[in-house]
Amino acid sequence: MSRRKCFQRIDNVEKSVRELLTEMKDISEVIVDLAYAAIIFDSREIAEEVEDLECQINTLNYGIRIKAMMAARTMDDAIKLSGLLQVASAAGVMSNAAGDIVKLLNVDVGERPFFSTMLREAEEKIRMTHLSERSDMVNRVIGDLGVESETGMRIIAIKRMKRWIYDPDRDVKLKAKDLLIVRGTEDGYERLRSYAAAEHPWPEDDD
Amino acid sequence: MDQLEDMLLELKDTSELMIDLAYSSLIYKNRDIAEEVMFLENHVNELTNDFQTEAMRRGFEEGDMTKALLLVRLAKSVEEISDGAMQIADVILRDVEPHPVIYLSVMESEVIITTATVSEDSDLVGRELGEIKLPSKCGMWIIAIKKGDRFQYGPEKKTVLEPGDVLISRGPEDGEGVLKNLTLGKYKLDEWDE
Repeated sequence: MSRRKCFQRIDNVEKSVRELLTEMKDISEVIVDLAYAAIIFDSREIAEEVEDLECQINTLNYGIRIKAMMAARTMDDAIKLSGLLQVASAAGVMSNAAGDIVKLLNVDVGERPFFSTMLREAEEKIRMTHLSERSDMVNRVIGDLGVESETGMRIIAIKRMKRWIYDPDRDVKLKAKDLLIVRGTEDGYERLRSYAAAEHPWPEDDD
Repeated sequence: MDQLEDMLLELKDTSELMIDLAYSSLIYKNRDIAEEVMFLENHVNELTNDFQTEAMRRGFEEGDMTKALLLVRLAKSVEEISDGAMQIADVILRDVEPHPVIYLSVMESEVIITTATVSEDSDLVGRELGEIKLPSKCGMWIIAIKKGDRFQYGPEKKTVLEPGDVLISRGPEDGEGVLKNLTLGKYKLDEWDE
């Protein structure tokens, strides 16, 4: 895996500090989940996405530092902004740790599935489920369904044919045969799985 | 593998709780919560040492040093994730006035942190956290509960909810309203179980 593409131009100085920091927080959360997913499912593809996201975080960190320096006029500004940079840098620390986790896949080892055995019982589990073509979730938008508020399961990635969609936005439409990588509790997973397998209809809200 | 497994899970769960608590301490400018992050950070460091020592001991015993190496590295990364959380809590512990943009950014994020107070009319009163199954019902995950002046961090399933409890939770934006209505007594629990 070349690190060359990691050195992107710093082209996000157009974004506001607020946008940059929100983006960093969102990435730093999903990247940790994806890193665990990569080693649980022994997936090179998910690992590559983690590496890409790690690069993005590093670039965002540059952007936010530039912005912060431009914004500091007084000592008071500098004190407040240093706290902000500290938070941004924390997102970087967490993302780098996620990047290190997926590097474990580069170690050639006879049987790696011991990771999935070890992580199976975590409080918030990472699981996957197929979307049956008979499920009424098919052709619906994630945000309209309210997948997370309905089942507590957060979709961290979708595999569609050969393509992956990571950290899907609210407006992503689910398709038959999608493979959903999700995070949440065991009973939430059980319910989502039953809807996805078309064993039960999706519960429609009245409001 | 059992003991190692338990330790790794505790490491992972603790580091995740730390991230949630760290962001909460930042949003609510709350020193108590930030101090809990620091306490957990020390715990994670000790646990990481124990885990790594045990992984290496088994590696020698079973003659599988590659596996030991992977486990040692994994634990180190999980420990680093908790360092990130500590770094966030650090802002509050140092009494650096957080920049208002931090608050806005965290609130605009896809995953939000919110508080709700359990009212006397709420169906949640007298129920155990585990039986309510909030995460699978509205997507909200309880990070901490404030009972009187005391905080309970990463509350247990058997924690009983009482009127006046402040629930600090994390989840999707549309889960927030459901939780609020539930704590206010506007939504009833049995309306859910179709």
